[in-house]
Amino acid sequence: MTCYTARAETFILSPAGNSIQWQEWGDVHIVYQPSSAETHVFNETTALILKCLKQGSRSIQAVKDWTENALEVGQGDLATDDFVFATMRLEELGLIECLDDASAVQ
Amino acid sequence: MIVGDLSRRELGKRLAGDGLALQLGPFNLTIRSNLDSFASLAHQLYEPYPLPDAEAISDFHVQISAPRGLRRWVRRQACFGVDGQFPFAPYTVEHAFPALEWGINWCVATRAHHLLLLHSAGVERNGRAILFPASPGHGKSTLCTALVHSGWRLLSDEFGVVRPEDGLLLPLPRLIPLKNESIEVIRKFRPEAIIGPSFLETRKGTVAHVQPPVNSIRRAQEPARPRWFVFPRWVADAPLTLEPIPKSQAFLMVATNAFNYEVLDEIAFRLVTEMVRSCDSYSLIYSDLDEAVSALDELSRTDDV
Repeated sequence: MTCYTARAETFILSPAGNSIQWQEWGDVHIVYQPSSAETHVFNETTALILKCLKQGSRSIQAVKDWTENALEVGQGDLATDDFVFATMRLEELGLIECLDDASAVQ
Repeated sequence: MIVGDLSRRELGKRLAGDGLALQLGPFNLTIRSNLDSFASLAHQLYEPYPLPDAEAISDFHVQISAPRGLRRWVRRQACFGVDGQFPFAPYTVEHAFPALEWGINWCVATRAHHLLLLHSAGVERNGRAILFPASPGHGKSTLCTALVHSGWRLLSDEFGVVRPEDGLLLPLPRLIPLKNESIEVIRKFRPEAIIGPSFLETRKGTVAHVQPPVNSIRRAQEPARPRWFVFPRWVADAPLTLEPIPKSQAFLMVATNAFNYEVLDEIAFRLVTEMVRSCDSYSLIYSDLDEAVSALDELSRTDDV
C-alpha cells in the first residue's frame, strides 16, 4: 500500500533510511543502504525527498513543496507522476514509510 | 629463493609430491601436478617467482592432474582441483597450463574476501597507479602488457587488489594471458617479451602467457596508491581519445566490475567511493599501442608538475 492508495498523508524516514551512507557527485547520488547491503543510484528528486525527510516527518504536500523549492522550480512544476514514482521507489526500498493521519499524530 | 633456483628435476619432484609452494603477491600457493608437460612449462614461466618461507601457510592448495582411470591414457585429460574439490569439467591435457592459471584466478576471485577485488588491470610508476577496469575483450591485458614493457610496473592484469585497511593496491604480478590477435600484437610491439607457447582452441580461443618483467615480480610486496582510473577500449582504426569521465559514472563502472562488491558490502562502498573521490577517471579509446602508451605516460607526467 502506498500513500496514494489510502488515507495516509505523512511521510517519515524509516530506520533504514536513517542509516544510509551517501556520496553526491553532481546531480547523481550514490546511496549505500546497510539494512539491505545494496547500493542505489538516485536522481536529484529522489535524493531531495530523502534529504527533506531527514529533517523530520512531513505531509506529502509539504515534501513536494520542499523538493520543488530545492530543485528551484516553480510551485507545482514537479510532475506529480515523477514525485509519486520517486516516493514509491523509496517506499519499496524501505527507506521511507507513509503514515495515515492518526499514526502520524501518535 | 626463486623457482629458477630449482632444477627441472627438483621442481618436477615437488609438483608430484607435496607440491610446489609459490608466493604470488599477497597469496601463498601450493601447486601439485603429475603432468610432465606442465612441469616443463612451470619451470620456464614461473622461473622468477619467489618461493615462500618453509613455514608459510598456503592460502590455496591447487592441482592440475591427470584423472584416474582410462582418461589417464586415452584422449588424455587434465583436471583442476582446489583443496581436494574439482569445480570444473576436465580439460584436454594440452590445455593443462592455462587451466591451472584460470583456476588460480577463480580461487582468488571466489575466496579472497578479506580484500576488495576489482576486475581491473593495474600498473604503477613513481608510486602512483593506474587501474584499468574493463570487460573482457576491451584490450586491458594487451595495454597492460605494453605498459609493463615500457617502464611501468605490473600490479596485475586481472585484479585490482585493494587492502581495506588503507585503500592501497596490493600487487599480484602473475603471468599475463594474451588471447588471439593480441599475442602477435605484443610479439611485434616488444620482441624481447617472454611469451610462452600458444595454446590453440582453448575455451577462450588461442592463449599465450607473458612473463612479467622481473622487476615487477621482485617488487610484489610493495603496494601502490591508486591515482587514476582509465577505462580502456580497443577499437580497430580508431583515433586515440583520452577523455575525463564523471565520478558518478566511474563509481558505477568500478563497482559493477568488482568481483566481491556485494560480499564486502559497506566496506566495498567505502573503498570504491574513496578511490573514485581521490582518483581522476578517464575513458580511453585506442587502436595503436604506441599512441596509448605515450598518452598514459603523458598523463602520469602531468601529475609530476
